[in-house]
Amino acid sequence: MVISPVHYIAVPLLAAFTIPLFAKIHKELTRIIPGIVLLYLAYVSYVLMSKVMTTGPIVEVIAGWHAPWGINLVYNGFSGFIASLMSIMGFLIWLYTYRFKKVDDEPALKFYILFLMMVAGSIGIVITGDVFNMFVFIEIVGITSYSLTAFYRGRDGAEASFKYLLIGSFASVFLLLGIMLLYTHVGTLNMAEIAQKMHTIPTSAKVSIFVMFAIALGIEAEMFPLNGWAPDAYSQAPGPIGAGFAGIVVKAGVYALIRIVFTLFDIEGAFQYLIVMGLITMIIAEVAAIRQTNLKRMLAYSSIGQMGVVLIGFGIGTTEAIFAAIFLMFNHAVIKGLLFMSGSFLVYNDDKKQIVSLSRFGKKLPIVSFLFALGAFAIVGFPPFAGFWSKLYLLLAAADKNMIFLIATILMVSVVEVVYYLRVVGKLYFGKEESTVEPKKPAFNSLIVMLILGGVIILVGVYPDVITGFIQNAADTLADKASYISNVLPSL
Amino acid sequence: MFGDYQNVVTMSVYGSAIALILIGLYGVLIKKHLMKIVIGLSVVDSGVNLMFVAIGYIKGGTAPIFSPSVIDKNVQMVDPVPQALVLTAIVIGFAVTAVALSLVIRLYKHHKTARIDQIKSLKW
Repeated sequence: MVISPVHYIAVPLLAAFTIPLFAKIHKELTRIIPGIVLLYLAYVSYVLMSKVMTTGPIVEVIAGWHAPWGINLVYNGFSGFIASLMSIMGFLIWLYTYRFKKVDDEPALKFYILFLMMVAGSIGIVITGDVFNMFVFIEIVGITSYSLTAFYRGRDGAEASFKYLLIGSFASVFLLLGIMLLYTHVGTLNMAEIAQKMHTIPTSAKVSIFVMFAIALGIEAEMFPLNGWAPDAYSQAPGPIGAGFAGIVVKAGVYALIRIVFTLFDIEGAFQYLIVMGLITMIIAEVAAIRQTNLKRMLAYSSIGQMGVVLIGFGIGTTEAIFAAIFLMFNHAVIKGLLFMSGSFLVYNDDKKQIVSLSRFGKKLPIVSFLFALGAFAIVGFPPFAGFWSKLYLLLAAADKNMIFLIATILMVSVVEVVYYLRVVGKLYFGKEESTVEPKKPAFNSLIVMLILGGVIILVGVYPDVITGFIQNAADTLADKASYISNVLPSL
Repeated sequence: MFGDYQNVVTMSVYGSAIALILIGLYGVLIKKHLMKIVIGLSVVDSGVNLMFVAIGYIKGGTAPIFSPSVIDKNVQMVDPVPQALVLTAIVIGFAVTAVALSLVIRLYKHHKTARIDQIKSLKW
């Protein structure tokens, strides 16, 4: 069988809709099959990424309709890197949830169907080369995320989910209006052809289309002020889905936003817009994070803040800054994944998920607490962990452009970040009195996943070269708009 | 005279699409009852879909079906792409509405009310 990017979408969707049939054969199959599918996707990533690194981008034509007319999938250095990251994170989250007790209580079947569709949709957003197809995938991700947010009946999941749904519906309306306006001006939906014809659109129309796209995709990307859904959704969704939002869904939103800014539109102010929005997002989120008493909400705000930093990196726009931003996306997926996974064990038996209840958990749950502390140190950027390098590269890229104000703000906000993360770590190890909450012993498979993620954080921190080659390739691909167009439309 | 009539028809389609979007937005933003909000959402969707179909319309065009009579007489066809997109958008809107309604039921069971100003266990 020839491995192609189509498998990313076709295999998980097929599996998601046939799991109910397998469930009739044996109940355990509903848990095993998603794992096999996600492992297969990780294998596909491995094969395709090695192909991309040696021979260049892969453009997959669907159903024989060539580029401007049909839908095509573009698997290049950047989209391939993000898609690989998503599929590997998807597999790890599956392994983490394999024996998750609450999933036993609730129907595991529905959980895995929705989860597979969420992964497939997110990867679809990343590798598609067609604007309307991207809209469809965004809606798939949206609908599955709403449902997964409301997965537990006992919590306030439905309320968070309804908020998310309202905001998400606005996003889809804006996206549809933007696509419509774009279509009336260029008469095509193919991203490469739109990029080619973009200069024919009058500037006023271009700006209004861009604003619609930015609003719609900013909601998925957690950009201020469109991120009101995030803290609620993160805190009410099951723990592994929080990791999934941080590692998979939000990455897809950021990717779509970046693709629109870099490839589709060539508006002068777009990069400054990213910097300004990123700054506001970062400052507000980190300040909000410091006054949270709920661990999961704190992690959610921190996640928003990190996305702000990523947007700043892309907004600076030089290859070095893009490199730093993609590195940050990778780090955020891994580290925030670890934080959510370990954090959800720490607050497992506390209904309010309060930080106060973590007092002296360092003794009761030594490994999980240690991994949480490791993640906290890594995300604020202490050396020698992974987060250090991405922040360093970002600051260096900003310094190259003489953006002193930007550097000062990022460093100041980092101090805030240090404060609220170390507060939790301090509570874990030096809390005043013993917490009355009984700790939850982590399951063996979950522990393995957390150890893998912790290992990756240290490995990338000590020896960043394992990953920088891929990221450099991704940054070069993103910055090179002309070759994106010529790859998709070779004849034109 | 005929042209004017056509213009009025086109403009009224655009106008009603925008009116639908605005009515829907009013429902979502002002109304307090969850059901009305969901209805507002689907009214917005209809407005956008109507606008989309109207944009693909070409004056005097026939249905975009490939047939001998179309090739012979060399008549214009309306743009098929927006229609295909609208079909997809309708299905998606249906799915979102279904999820929204099931959430409304869940919220009603959980809080014993369907008014959004009385449901505020989550805050910023």
